[in-house]
Parts: sequence; structure tokens; C-alpha cells
Amino acid sequence: MLEFQNITKIYESKNKQVVGVDNVSIKINRGDIFGIVGYSGAGKSSLLRCVNLLERPTSGKVLVDDIDLTQLSSSALRKARLKIGMIFQHFYLISQKTVGENIAFALRAADTPKKDIDGRVKELLEMVGLTDKKDVFPGQLSGGQKQRVGIARALANNPSILLCDEATSALDPKTTLSILKLLKKINEKLGITIVLITHEMDVVKEICNRMAIMQDGQVIEEGEVYDIFAQPNKPLTKEFINSVVSFEIPKDILANVKGQVIKLLFKGDVAGEGVISDTIQQFDVKGNFLHGIIEYIQERPLGIFIMELQGEKAVVDEAKKYMEQRGALVEVVQHV
Amino acid sequence: MFDFPYFITMLPDIWKAFKETVVMIGIALLISIVIGLPLGVLLFVTDKGLFWENRFVKNIFGFAVNLVRSIPFIILLVALFPLTKLLVGTTIGPIAASVSLSVAAIPYFARLVESSLRDIDKGVIEATIAVGATPWMIIKDVLLPEARSTIIRGITLTVISLVAYSAMAGTIGGGGIGDLAIRFGYYRYDNTIMISTVVILIVFVQLIQLIGEQYAKSIDKR
Repeated sequence: MLEFQNITKIYESKNKQVVGVDNVSIKINRGDIFGIVGYSGAGKSSLLRCVNLLERPTSGKVLVDDIDLTQLSSSALRKARLKIGMIFQHFYLISQKTVGENIAFALRAADTPKKDIDGRVKELLEMVGLTDKKDVFPGQLSGGQKQRVGIARALANNPSILLCDEATSALDPKTTLSILKLLKKINEKLGITIVLITHEMDVVKEICNRMAIMQDGQVIEEGEVYDIFAQPNKPLTKEFINSVVSFEIPKDILANVKGQVIKLLFKGDVAGEGVISDTIQQFDVKGNFLHGIIEYIQERPLGIFIMELQGEKAVVDEAKKYMEQRGALVEVVQHV
Repeated sequence: MFDFPYFITMLPDIWKAFKETVVMIGIALLISIVIGLPLGVLLFVTDKGLFWENRFVKNIFGFAVNLVRSIPFIILLVALFPLTKLLVGTTIGPIAASVSLSVAAIPYFARLVESSLRDIDKGVIEATIAVGATPWMIIKDVLLPEARSTIIRGITLTVISLVAYSAMAGTIGGGGIGDLAIRFGYYRYDNTIMISTVVILIVFVQLIQLIGEQYAKSIDKR
């Protein structure tokens, strides 16, 4: 388990202090894929780098399996780092060493016996799908391949945590997807906790089960990815979610609407369309879809529909109540 | 202007002078690499934000390096006579000249090494710290290999500076090509020797530059 306790990071510059991370406490469970989302400058990178103390928090504790890393001696910290893998946006491989040597470097850091290194390198290359690239230099690889080497290096010493610092931000969408799939596979197969930071909501939607949203150094919202997608509370969270699931309805259309515009949300196995058609049959209302989508997050469907309900106000209210009873979340977007 | 038959008769002297130049440059280069390389690494790794950050060490060595580099070579040469006498027993000849050449080249090369290391992407160093590597591993397997090409270029530059310095050392008894140029070319208005020595030095420097650059390129895997 990984836990941040009241982490604050203050950067001192010549004549001012900049608060990078502002009193953040998060618990990340073993096996989670935890996404930290925010715009650049929100403090997410600083927070991530506090996990392996590439940056030391000004105050607060970083607990990995209940051991406070900030209290460790430098050699103990070095040992602890063997169990915390990290990958980077720009890969940061040793350019003058081959792929195999880059991975072997990590193994040697853990004092792996010489005779075991070759076999382990082969194993790791197999896991990331680069068996034929052992003797190639990083300069000859594509971005996606470099990141795979980065992943192999990060996993070399069987870490319990993998930190991903914008790991897919420098990659094209197709490569991003393949790297995310690989991360998911690693998470499922090896049970490694993954903490990733990103500004791309797509990444979170694709693989994370829990997430936090950061703004100005603080965590403003935190929870299950599904729940946050279903009901974002903070404006920034909504903004991020809109970047993936957008419900913009053209102004002209809204202006011509005669009834009440409502947003319906169906979580999990509540069959949205069924509820809606039942409602329209039972009540004296006219329904008119303006927008709708069924998103699959963590393989759970999330149905969101925006529709216009026309009819007597009392009947419309009753219809809404009925839909709520059937498990829908009803939100009025626009009154008549 | 150029007396070819005379040039032929002077060839043994020129050859001897050239060998002397090579000896003093060779010794000075070797010493400046042996001492300057670790010194350059030290200047880098004790810098702010690096794994052996130490302002005290950084400032002491940085000051010493700047001190030597700020003294004009011709003055350093004379000032170091007592040290040369102590180490070599004499202040005359190429071996004696190599002492002051080394003292001048060590800080020069150390700064070149430091700046080569500074060119390495900080992220690469950070990534290996995150892997849990020891400082020694990082120096040996990350810093030096990553900076290898630029360090080779630094060696080339150092040799070329040493060629210039060696000519100066020649004027006060160091021997070598510079000595020959001064004694014959300057004092005796001997144009043949003057032209020959200048041509030799030009060819020598060009060759070093060419070889150094080719080698630096050939080992870079980027």
C-alpha cells in the first residue's frame, strides 16, 4: 500500500515561495491503477516524484507498506527504490548502451548475480514484446519501443509499485493504447500497483480504477473512476470529463426546446432505454432525445442521455420521480 | 625564401624537435586526463541537485581550477620552476616542460569534462537514481558513457591547446618545435625553418582534429 500523508512541497526561489503540493493525503491500495489528473503546474508531477523521493517533500510522510521513506538513510532509500519502478514521458534511457545493457543496469543496481542477468533480461524483453531488440541502441527505436524498454527496466527488480510520469504523453494515440494495454497486463499479471499522472482523461478512462484530480497543488476530488465519471462534483473535474465525454448541445437547438430538458444517468446494469420507454408509455409526456451515449468505464456501462420532456408540469415531475425510482439519476438542465 | 637543400640537412633537427613536442604533449595529456577527468566528474557531481551535492568541495575545487586558468601560461611556466625542479630535477627539456603543461591542462580539461557532463539530460541521471543505482554505477555506466563523445572532443581540444602551450614552453628551454621556430626562425631570420615548423604544426593540429572528430563520431550511438 502507498500512502501520502499531508505532503507539502514548497519550492524556494530567489524572493518567493511557490507551493507545488499543498497538504495532500491519498491512500493507494495494492493492485490499484491510480490516476492523478491535472493541468501542468497542478503539482501532480511533484507529488509523483515524492514517492521515490526524487523530490523530497517539505513536510509530510510517504508510506510504502507502512515504511516512511522520508526517514530512511540514503542506502536504505536506494534499496527501497529498487522496489519502486518508474517510467518517464521522455523515456530517459542510457543512449550509449544497448537495450539489453539498459535493463541489465537496473539488475546490477540490485546486485543480481551475473549469471542470472542474461536470463532475466530475456524474460523482461519477452514481457514487453521486444525480444529481437536486445542488442539495439535506443536511438534506433521508435517512441513506443523506447517506452517498452523503460517499462522493462522499471520492472527489472520486481517492484511493488510502478510510477508513470506522463508515460504516454509523447506517443501517438495508437502507441499510447498499446502501452496502456501493456501496463494493464502488467498490473493484472504481476499485481503491481500503478500510479500514473496524466493530463489525458482518455488514459484514466482506459486503465485506472481510482483517480484524483489536482488543482493548485491540492487534490480537489478523489474516488473510483467510474463514480467520478458518473458524477463529477468540481468544475475542473467536469471540464476534464467533458474532454472525453462531451454533451454540448448547440444553442439553437436548446432555444427551440419546448419542454423541460433533463439529463439522465444510468449506472451499471440499469437499462436506460427500457426505463425511458416505460416512462413515456406510462405517463402523458412526450420525450425527445437531444443527446446520448453509453460509455464503458472499467467495462461497466455508464449511460448518459439528455432529453426533452414535454407535458403538464405535474406529470413531468411524476415521470422524473418514476425514473429516479427505477435507478436513474435525473438532473434538470433547463426549465421551460 | 624556402631553401629546400638546407631543409633536408635540417630534417634530423626538425624530427628531434617534433619528437620532443610529442613527448611533452603526450605526458601532459596523460596526466591531465588521469587527474582532470576525475576532477571534472567531481566538479559535476558535487553541483546543486546532484547526488553528491557539496557546496564546500565544489567551491574549493572550482576556485582552484579558476585560479590556475586565470594565470597566463607564460607566467605559470616560470612560476612553476621550483615545482618542476623538485619533480624532474631540472627546468630544461621536454620532460621538465611537461610539468607546467600538465598543470595548465588539468583545469582546462576538467572544465571541458564538467561541461560535457552538464550536457547529459538530467532526466537520464534521474531515471538511474530512480532505478536504485549507486553513485559509483551512475558515474561509471551513465555519466562517462553518455559524455564519452564530447569528452573525446575535449581531449582533442586539450591536445590542440597543448600544442600552442608547448611552443611557449619551448621558448624558455622546453625544446620541441616551438623552440626550433624561435631559435632559428625568429632569432636567425631563418625562413625555411620558420615555414617548416609552421607547416608541421598546422598539419599536426589538423590531423589531431580530424582523428579526434572521427573517433568521437564513430563511438556515438545516438
